Amino acid sequence: MSLWGRITSSEDRHPFFDQIEKLFKNRTGLAGLIIIVVFSLAAIFAPLISPHDPNENSLYDQLKPPIWNQEGSTKNLLGTDDLGRDMLSRLIYGARVSLTLGIVSVGIAFLCGSLLGAMAGYYKGWPDNLIMRLMDIILAFPHILLAIVIVAYLGPGLRNAMMAIGIINIPRFARIVRASVMDEYEKDYVTAAKAVGSSSRRIIFNTIFPNCLAPIIVQASLGFGAAILDAAGLSFLGLGAQPPLSEWGAMIAQGRAMILRAWWVMTFPGIAILLAVLGFNLLGDGLRDALDPRLRD
Amino acid sequence: MTTENLLEIRNLKTYFDVRGGILKAVDDVSLTIKSGETLGLVGESGCGKSVTGASIMRLIPIPPGRIAGGEIFFEGIDILKLPESEMRKVRGNKISMIFQEPMTSLNPVFTVGDQVAEVIRLHEKLSQRETRERVIETFRLVRIPAPDSRIEEYPHQMSGGMRQRVMIAMALACHPKLMIADEPSTALDVTIQAQILDLMNKLKEETGASILFITHDLGVIAEMAQRVAVMYAGKIMEGADVDALFSEPKHPYTMGLMSSIPILGIGKKQRRLSTIPGVVPSLFKLPKGCLFHDRCSVTLQECDQSEPPMIDLGNSHFVRCHKYV
Repeated sequence: MSLWGRITSSEDRHPFFDQIEKLFKNRTGLAGLIIIVVFSLAAIFAPLISPHDPNENSLYDQLKPPIWNQEGSTKNLLGTDDLGRDMLSRLIYGARVSLTLGIVSVGIAFLCGSLLGAMAGYYKGWPDNLIMRLMDIILAFPHILLAIVIVAYLGPGLRNAMMAIGIINIPRFARIVRASVMDEYEKDYVTAAKAVGSSSRRIIFNTIFPNCLAPIIVQASLGFGAAILDAAGLSFLGLGAQPPLSEWGAMIAQGRAMILRAWWVMTFPGIAILLAVLGFNLLGDGLRDALDPRLRD
Repeated sequence: MTTENLLEIRNLKTYFDVRGGILKAVDDVSLTIKSGETLGLVGESGCGKSVTGASIMRLIPIPPGRIAGGEIFFEGIDILKLPESEMRKVRGNKISMIFQEPMTSLNPVFTVGDQVAEVIRLHEKLSQRETRERVIETFRLVRIPAPDSRIEEYPHQMSGGMRQRVMIAMALACHPKLMIADEPSTALDVTIQAQILDLMNKLKEETGASILFITHDLGVIAEMAQRVAVMYAGKIMEGADVDALFSEPKHPYTMGLMSSIPILGIGKKQRRLSTIPGVVPSLFKLPKGCLFHDRCSVTLQECDQSEPPMIDLGNSHFVRCHKYV
């Protein structure tokens, strides 16, 4: 970038645009963003782009291989499962389920975690101890095991799986928010905010919190990938999405029995999960590079 | 308490409970500020002048700090006894504060106009347009050029001097009666410093607000204040009108400070800059008797025995020294 470009870019624009530009320049971050945009578009326009109804059975098209196989046909590009349902359509609708699930569970973790973490970081003392020890207890359980326990208690189903994944991810957000709030609390502008008569609540949410957003956004992006993976795990165990809902984890569980006869039934949902999680992780890393002030050049 | 005293601090004690004992940052400090007056509070680093300012705003972090005693009357009300919710209505509204570091005292994620508007929103019920008008008016008051467009800028887009003007605008937004300026010009370079001080003097005349001006710079005090209090190790050593303090300082510490100011253009051979021997005592190990006796040029018998009382020399000149008993 030219000298002039640098000067105008840092003088006239909101730093947000510099960060966006930095994210776009980061190739892996951009790759992650592209993957996620493609998946999101697929999810939003699922009814328009999927060639078949995802739940439409077809007695004559059971276990059709993908198109590049000799027995494949243009009717089912990625083949069909044991009930003759179109794999591609099911994968596209599966993106809907996975993304909603990511939004809801990360949303739960983000809201509860930020609130708890901010209170712990701001008030310190016993509220901090109480909240963070509670978080430590949640973290002491193996991740997926705790989710299983919660779903077992609430009953299987996609909604309860989302809640369970949300709950197990609260500590991650709480810890990050607590650390950032403690960091920001020492800054002069917080004292200045007190000196103009802001209440504690206003200082936490209007003054400090907007300054802590960078690490939270990164964690949200990484958490999105983890949530999709966890949900797929729960569905695979039969605790998440219930048939006939097309969810990637459930599709793998269903295709497991016929992996030797029809590898595609299990492989394609696996690849979908892999790509989605990879996309969110790459984006998360890219965001961290773009937002972390210590890594700024 | 007389009505003309806007602020009257009586025997204020602000202590910090820290490992190794009680740190008496402010010990038995009494000050008064009249309406429309600027009181300069001078002293070395760590003498408790900033803590005094923060105590008036009740911004001492509790714990480890605590206000161990004393009263602070503002417009006749002891603000140390106000509940926190009432105190919030005083901060930024009737008493406001200007900080030393304009670079870090503004929130980096909001526009400067938004931050000034926030102060108005906290204390007054104005419509959005009225708030905006008031912000622009305040920016004009602190001589920020092109206020209509500058309110949209973020702190990082402004220079240090401009940011300090924004801080002053924040302090002035609700027309306070008293402004506490804690080294407002120290972090700025000399030309900007002169501009800011000049601005504050003009604003004081325009708004009629009183100022508690905290600084370590005697030159600045001479320019700004009508009355001066000299602080040393948590106590007021001398208080006087600015002219009296500079023409005839009474306390040996004040005299020492005055003779430590470099004088330019005396002749070819500049005399060596005089200093006060020794260092400021640690607040943990304060000397017995007068706090200043081990660095003092005058040594009387009682200096290391008992603490001198505040002595009234007339003409509202007060000094804490055994010499004048």
